[in-house]
Amino acid sequence: MQELVLIQPGGTARQELLREAAQADTRREFEERLVECGPLAYRVARGVLRNTTDAEDVAQEALLRAYCSFDRLRDRNRFRAWLVRISFRLALDRLRSSKRREQRDTLWSQPEHQPPAATAEDLAVSNEFQAHLDRALGELPEKLRLVLLLAAMEGHTIDEIAAMLGIPVGTVKSRIFFARKQLAEKLRCHVNITKTR
Amino acid sequence: MPCEHYKDALIEAAATGIESQGELRSHLAACALCRAAFAEERALFSSLDAGLHVAANSEVPASLLPRVRARIAEETTATRSWATTWFALAGAAAMVVAFIAVQTVRRANVGQKPVETTKYSNPPAPLIPPRQSENPIDVPPVSGTSGPQTRVTATKGFASPEALASRNTVPEVLVPRDQEVLVARYAEQWSRRRRAPLLAENSGDTALSPMEVAPIQIAQLDVKLLAEEKAQ
Repeated sequence: MQELVLIQPGGTARQELLREAAQADTRREFEERLVECGPLAYRVARGVLRNTTDAEDVAQEALLRAYCSFDRLRDRNRFRAWLVRISFRLALDRLRSSKRREQRDTLWSQPEHQPPAATAEDLAVSNEFQAHLDRALGELPEKLRLVLLLAAMEGHTIDEIAAMLGIPVGTVKSRIFFARKQLAEKLRCHVNITKTR
Repeated sequence: MPCEHYKDALIEAAATGIESQGELRSHLAACALCRAAFAEERALFSSLDAGLHVAANSEVPASLLPRVRARIAEETTATRSWATTWFALAGAAAMVVAFIAVQTVRRANVGQKPVETTKYSNPPAPLIPPRQSENPIDVPPVSGTSGPQTRVTATKGFASPEALASRNTVPEVLVPRDQEVLVARYAEQWSRRRRAPLLAENSGDTALSPMEVAPIQIAQLDVKLLAEEKAQ
C-alpha cells in the first residue's frame, strides 16, 4: 500500500518557526510598552470619563487594540502618542454612549486622593475644593480637559503633548491657558465662600 | 475689591504665572487692594494646579495590567484555535480535491488509450522539473488500471491561512512519504535559484569537471585486392 502525503514544499516548517519567533519578539516588545504606557491609557480615560470603572474598561480595550495593531505601527517610538489617541477616542465614544451621568457624578464627588492637610478644617476645605475642581473639570470641553490633564501628568512637556495629539505647540498653550481660566472662574466663588466661613 | 480696569489683567497675569510688567506692575506697587487681589488669584491658580496634579496622576488599579495580559493571551489562543480548525478543514478539502483530480485524470487516460495500461506494483510519484510553469513542482497523476490503493495522509506542514489562500505562490504536492524530504529540498533550491537545479547537492569538496573523452583511435586499413592475396 502506497502512502502519499500532502505537503507544502516551501520551507513551511522554517517559516512557522520564523513566524513564531517574530510573534514572541512582538509580545516581548509590547510587554515593555504595556508597563511603561499602561497607566497613561488609564489616566487619559479617567480624565475624560471621570469614572474609575469605566476608565479601567476603556484603558483595557485601548491596550488590547494597540496590541492587535502593534505590527502595523511603523515607528515604535510613537507608541505613546498613538496610545493616547486611541484611549481618548474610546473614552469619548464611551462618554457619548453612556446614559449614567448621575452615577458618574456620585462616584466623582468623593475624591480618592487628597493632599495632606494640617487640620481637620483644612482637610474639609481641601476635600471640598477638590470636589468642586473635579466637577468643574467635567464641565470643560473634552479637548481642553485632555490637554490640561496631560500637562498636569508627570513628565509631559508642551512639545510632547503637541506631538501626542498632533496639534501645534501654540494650540496646546492656548488650550491650557483657556482651560485654566475657565476653571478659575468656576472655582473663584467657591474659594470666596470657603474663606467667609 | 480690585480696580475694575485692572481686574482682567490681574487674572491673566496670575494665570500665565509671569511677573507683572509695565503699567500693571506700577499700579500694583501703588494699589494695596489690587496687590491683595493679585495674591489671591495666584493662590487660586496654585491650588488649581495642585488639584489638577492630583486628578491627573491618580493611582492606577493594580488589576489593569494583569487583565490586559489575560485578554491578550485569550486573543492569541483564539487566533491559534481558529487557525488549527482552518488547517484541518483546508487539509480535508485539499485531500478531497486531490482525490477527485486523480480519479478524473485516470478516467480520461482510460478513455483516450484503452489499450495501453500502465501497471505499477508500487507506483512512485515522479518529479518533473517545471520548464514553463511558474509552479515549482507539477506532480503527474498516478495512473494505472489496477494500481494499488493509495492512502493519502495530511502532514503537519500546512501553511497559514494566508499562504493557503495564495495558492499560486505556495503549491501543495502529493508525494510518497519517503520522498517528502527530497521534494522539500528541491523546492527550496528552486525558490532560491529560480531555475531547475541539479538534484544532486553541490558539495564544496568535489569540483565537477567536464568529462574527458579520449580521441577515437582509428587503425589504418590496409586494403589488399583478393587476387593479390591468393597469389601470395
